[in-house]
Amino acid sequence: MPNPPQTPLVERRLRWAGVLIAVGLIIQLTTFIWLHPLAFIAFAVIGCPLVAAGVLLFLYSLVSHQPAQDGDPGS
Amino acid sequence: MLIEILFIFIAVVLASLVAARAELTRVRGGKILAFVTLFILPVAAVGLGYSEHMERATSTQFCLSCHVMSDFGRSLAVDDPSYIPAKHFQNNLVPRDHACYTCHTDYTMFGTVHAKFRGLRHIYVQYFGKVPQPADIKLYTPFNNRECLHCHAGMRAFEEEPKHSKTPDMMSRINSNQMSCTSAHCHDTMHDVASLSSATFWKGGR
Repeated sequence: MPNPPQTPLVERRLRWAGVLIAVGLIIQLTTFIWLHPLAFIAFAVIGCPLVAAGVLLFLYSLVSHQPAQDGDPGS
Repeated sequence: MLIEILFIFIAVVLASLVAARAELTRVRGGKILAFVTLFILPVAAVGLGYSEHMERATSTQFCLSCHVMSDFGRSLAVDDPSYIPAKHFQNNLVPRDHACYTCHTDYTMFGTVHAKFRGLRHIYVQYFGKVPQPADIKLYTPFNNRECLHCHAGMRAFEEEPKHSKTPDMMSRINSNQMSCTSAHCHDTMHDVASLSSATFWKGGR
């Protein structure tokens, strides 16, 4: 995903987290179309790990974020 | 089902919104939105999805979606009441939509979990192992009377059936699984897929 210049690192991570979660959930939605064991496998092996990666990236972006020291209320 | 789909769809839309507009998280409301969208909703959506898949995995259509199971599905329509699965299926003694699961799950505290692990093993064999011929497929363990008694225990027709009282201790042996319901000359005709080529089939119920 293209990032505008000067985009803070935390926002880049949030973007990627959102992308991973959205893709994982879309895959999860598509597995509901098909009533077959492979649909469950796709859910468990592709969809769930993508969502988990997105959630973990989001949590990592929180704990690794260094707030600005100039009193920026949005930080 | 529709509620789960709608919930997951909303989660997708919100996650896409945060992905497209990450600068929203610079303000307090955006931070809350990000937490809900990137943590709470995805975890809940995966939980709902897992639950939905588990429910779908109990359906007859799901079980019969593997080719090797098709003969077992056909055996449910055999026009012969001595075929125990066919008799149960055709007379609605088990829900037709969940016919396989109703008899082949374990009615114990973790029976559903065990059934799911067996299902995962089946998937592994289907795609990575050597798939046996339908006639060679056997149960992992002998069929436990507990699964029959889950419905039949206390039934008048079961309790008062003269064949179940041939000996004084017969009923207690049945109830304690010492004597199998599927013993020879009792209810010993199950799917019997090897004999399907000569069987006649019930046309109704579709």
